[in-house]
Amino acid sequence: MTAHRIMIVDDELDFGTTLAERLELRGFAAKAVGGAEEAMAALAAGWCPDVVLLDLMMPGVDGLATLDLIKQHDPGIQVIILTGHGSTESGIIGMQRGLFDYLMKPVDIGELIARINEAGAK
Amino acid sequence: MNKPLFRAANYPLFCGLSDRDLCPKARYRCMRNSLLIVMLAITLIPLAITSGLNFIQYQQLLRDDSQANARWNAESARATITAYLEKLEAAITVVIDTHTFEDLSDSNRLEHIFRQLKKEHQGLVDLSVVGPDGIQSAYVGPYRLAGKDYSDSLWFHKALARRMYVSEVFTGFRNVPHFVVAASKKDPYSEQYWVLRASIDTETLDRFLALADTEALEDIFLLNDSGILQSGSRYHGEAMKNFQLTRKPKQNDILISEEMRGGSNFYRAVSRIPNTPWLLVLDQQGAEARKIWLIFKERLLLTLTLCFLVSGGVVVWLSRFLAGQFREADETRDTILSETEHSNKLASIGRLAAGVAHEINNPLAIIGEKAGLMQDLIGLDREFRHREKFLDQLASLQNAVVRARTITHRLLGFARRMETSLTLVQLNDILKEVLSFLEKDAAYRNIHVILQLQADLPVIRADHGQLQQVFLNVINNAIDAIRSDGEIHITSRRENHKTVMVAVSDTGPGIAPEILKNIFEPFFTTKGNEEKKGTGLGLSITYGLVQKMGGKIEVSSEVGVGTTFIITFPVYSEGSEGEINDRA
Repeated sequence: MTAHRIMIVDDELDFGTTLAERLELRGFAAKAVGGAEEAMAALAAGWCPDVVLLDLMMPGVDGLATLDLIKQHDPGIQVIILTGHGSTESGIIGMQRGLFDYLMKPVDIGELIARINEAGAK
Repeated sequence: MNKPLFRAANYPLFCGLSDRDLCPKARYRCMRNSLLIVMLAITLIPLAITSGLNFIQYQQLLRDDSQANARWNAESARATITAYLEKLEAAITVVIDTHTFEDLSDSNRLEHIFRQLKKEHQGLVDLSVVGPDGIQSAYVGPYRLAGKDYSDSLWFHKALARRMYVSEVFTGFRNVPHFVVAASKKDPYSEQYWVLRASIDTETLDRFLALADTEALEDIFLLNDSGILQSGSRYHGEAMKNFQLTRKPKQNDILISEEMRGGSNFYRAVSRIPNTPWLLVLDQQGAEARKIWLIFKERLLLTLTLCFLVSGGVVVWLSRFLAGQFREADETRDTILSETEHSNKLASIGRLAAGVAHEINNPLAIIGEKAGLMQDLIGLDREFRHREKFLDQLASLQNAVVRARTITHRLLGFARRMETSLTLVQLNDILKEVLSFLEKDAAYRNIHVILQLQADLPVIRADHGQLQQVFLNVINNAIDAIRSDGEIHITSRRENHKTVMVAVSDTGPGIAPEILKNIFEPFFTTKGNEEKKGTGLGLSITYGLVQKMGGKIEVSSEVGVGTTFIITFPVYSEGSEGEINDRA
């Protein structure tokens, strides 16, 4: 199985980079960006992920708006919300907009990888 | 604007003095007593006044009636005596007009006339002719009075002076009380007056007066202006006895006066009998002595006593009831205020908790990831000197992160159930939304979710988010119960015209009856030994939310077969809105 390309969009860069490093240790190609603009710039530059791990509460463009931008760019990219500010409502709204899954921080790495693999296999 | 809420016990009307000094129990007792006094006054005072007025009014009516009755009886007796005398006078007038002195001085002729008169006029004792010199020239009667000289008698002179004269009662030569009706006539030859005289005994008067006897009549008698009884009296003795009147009427008036005798009152009617020297005196019982008055007093007293007892009883009951209701209302109000305050506090705590949880989750995630990366790196470096010790420490750190995460997630769940916003929702849509959230987890565990949703399910009025939480909890529980490899059947349908229901059945291990009965109680959990420890709040919160939205949740389970949760909600209609709002 080919290792999936993972983009982590989170304004907490310390979290994003650490998680990216851990995923890379597990054979994924991972990239951490600090917000929607950086993410869209990376996509435009041709760094195309299979799965995006997206924070919900970010300054400027929030997670759900970023989800819409990513889906507009490439509907095939699977997005998993990974947030500390989760609520049932935002999860359901995300699901309705093509979200693959919704996870609450802090998350167990094993569970996260299982979801990433499911999303990547879709 | 802070308008103070009504609180019955705070009103001084009910407590008189400041209620601050009284304990709550004494305050309501005081209120009850005040209500009792006020209501007793309101009901009994008008009753007493009305009864008093009735008493006085009826007494006055009876007095008026007694007076009228006395007057009527007096008039009636006077008319009887007058009629008797007028008839007798008319007869004597006829006799004297149709005969001469010589004619009537003939004893046989006089006797014949006497017999004729006696037939018509009861009480007639004798008939005589008295000449101008006062010597009785002829006499027919039971006494030996022929030849008697009446020249010194008052009646003789009065008879001579008038054409017709009725005398006072006197005893005369016969020594028996009697009166005379005498007519005089001028002899055409001698041009002197002679007299035809008829004597009537007083028993005749007594008989006539006795005709006036009625229930209320005390005494009736005749009296002359000098105070000599002209007839027998029940209280003042026989004829010729003395009795003085305090007041006498003028002319033909009837004088009514109220007198006291032996502690009881009576009415005295006094009237003059025309063309006689007599006064008719009639004594009649006063109103207070009459039987009808005694009956009225007895009935009034009985009615009043009954009314007092019934009103008193009702007022006592009502004051107790009202004080109880006030107390209950105050307590309910206090409870509602306290609950609202508590609820507001909880909502504030909820918002605070949510904020804290959100803010903590991010640094917690960084700690978790950093620790995880360290674990990864140390795990890869088999040469690292303190590898095992570091891995142990990092595992502890991860455990602490997991514990902290459980707490923050719990806080978020607590915060989520605080706020309510009612909208019209379609249960099928909610179920599909929730399932979209859970189906991956279910699929991951090889659990098949089978839906049987009624297409035209009526809408209900509920909080969208809370409804999602309800079904999330129930379906999550089903997934947790099955763990892996099983089925969840979700059915929705309209039960009747008032309710819709959703049934969630799982093929899990089922729940033992002793656990089932406690399943909705707060902090009751069966997940204690498992890795994912339950808070014991999930189903309790679910139960509370369903109740709050006007619904009902029931559970049935069979060990080894599975568990079914049935949740029913009232169908939305104009009428049901208020009920749900009240609960919300």
